[in-house]
Amino acid sequence: MADELARWAGERAPSLLARAEGEALAVLRDALVAAALDRPREGRPPDEPDPPTAKRDPPLAKPGPPPPTGEALWAYGVSRADAPRPEGLSGVVPSAPVTRVEAGELAALVSSVPLAEFAEEPLRRNLNDLTWLGRVARAHEAVLERALSTTAIVPLRLCTIYESEESVREMLEREQDAFVEALEVLDGRQEWGVKLLVDPERLAEEARSRSSEAAALQDELEGRSGGSAYLVRRRLERHVREAASSVAGEVAEQVHARLQDWAIDAVSRRPQNRELSGHEGDMLLNGAYLVEAERVDGFRELVTGLEDRYRSLGARLELTGPWPPYNFVPHGGAAAIA
Amino acid sequence: MTTIQEREVALVDLIDRLLGGGVVVAGDITLAAADVDLVYVHLRALITSVATAQEKGLLPHMGSAV
Repeated sequence: MADELARWAGERAPSLLARAEGEALAVLRDALVAAALDRPREGRPPDEPDPPTAKRDPPLAKPGPPPPTGEALWAYGVSRADAPRPEGLSGVVPSAPVTRVEAGELAALVSSVPLAEFAEEPLRRNLNDLTWLGRVARAHEAVLERALSTTAIVPLRLCTIYESEESVREMLEREQDAFVEALEVLDGRQEWGVKLLVDPERLAEEARSRSSEAAALQDELEGRSGGSAYLVRRRLERHVREAASSVAGEVAEQVHARLQDWAIDAVSRRPQNRELSGHEGDMLLNGAYLVEAERVDGFRELVTGLEDRYRSLGARLELTGPWPPYNFVPHGGAAAIA
Repeated sequence: MTTIQEREVALVDLIDRLLGGGVVVAGDITLAAADVDLVYVHLRALITSVATAQEKGLLPHMGSAV
C-alpha cells in the first residue's frame, strides 16, 4: 500500500507542482493588480493605462506600440581602469560578454542587453517574473563576484542601464570623486553578512530566569486559582514577553558590537521577514560587516565564539560572504526586506 | 556556525542586497522606489502561496531554496 502510494505520489508530483505554481502565479497577479491600483506609479499621467504587469491578458494580445528594438548597456559595477580586464565572463544575457567602458582612472563593467527585454516597460513587466528576476540577479551577482576576486569594485544597484557607451562615460565622469573615494575604502576589504537566529522558547526561558519580577509573579500564582490565577498568569505572560524582547535587543546589540569592533565598518539591517526568507527561529540581527581581507579568519572565529556564548538561547549565527560590498558604498544599503 | 560561501544563496538574500544596496547612480533606465517595492510585494505573494501549497501537501518542503 505504502509503496503504491509513493509511486502514485511520484508520478503525480510534476503535475501537482505545475498546479501549485499556477496557483502561486494567480495569487501573484492578484497582489500586483492590488498594488497597481493602490499606488499609481511615479511620473505616470493619470489617464495612462495600468502597466502590462497588472493585466491578466498576455502582452501579445494588447494593442500598443511595438516593443523597442536595439541594444542598451547593463552596468554591473565600477573598478579602477588599471584593474585586470574581465575575461570570458558572460552577463545577464548569456550570449553577451562583459566588457569595460573606461573614463579617466575608472572603468565600468557592462554588457549588451536588448531593449525589447530591458527598456522601461518590458523591464517592469519582467521584474515581476520571479524566474526572470532570479536569473538576472544571479548573473549580476556572478559578474561582480568574479571581478571581485581580482580587484576592488563598487557594485551598482540592479537595473542600472545606459543607452550608449558615451552615456556610461558621462556617468563615470560625473561620479568620479565618489567612486574613487569608495574604491579607496574598499581596497583589500570584504563584505560579510551575519544573521543571528535564536529559539524563541529558549529566549523566553532565559528572560524568565533572569527576571525577579517573573519569579515574584510565579510565586503569587502558586497560592491562587480560578479567575485571580488567570489574571496573574496573564500578567506573567505579558511580563515574560516584554522581558524576552528586551533580552533579544540586548543580545543583538552585544553580538553586533563585537562584530563591529572587529570590522572596519558595520551596518545593522532590518531582520528579514520569515515569510520571505523561510528561516527558523527569530532573527535578531541581520548585519553586514566590512572586514580586512587578512582579518577574515579571525572574524570567522569570532562568529563561532559568539554562537557558543549564546548557546543557551539556541543561537545560530549564519555567516555569508564574501559579498560584493553592496552595503558599503555611497548612499547604498538603506533598505532591507521586512 | 553556518557558513555559506560556495553559495546557493536564497533569492531573498540576493534581492535584499541587489535592490536594497549598491550604488544608485542616474542611468538612462533605472528602477523607481515604487518598482523595488512592487518586487517585494510580488516576492511575498509568491512565497506565501508556496507555503500554503506546502501546508496542503501539494509541494515538498524546500527549505530556503526559494
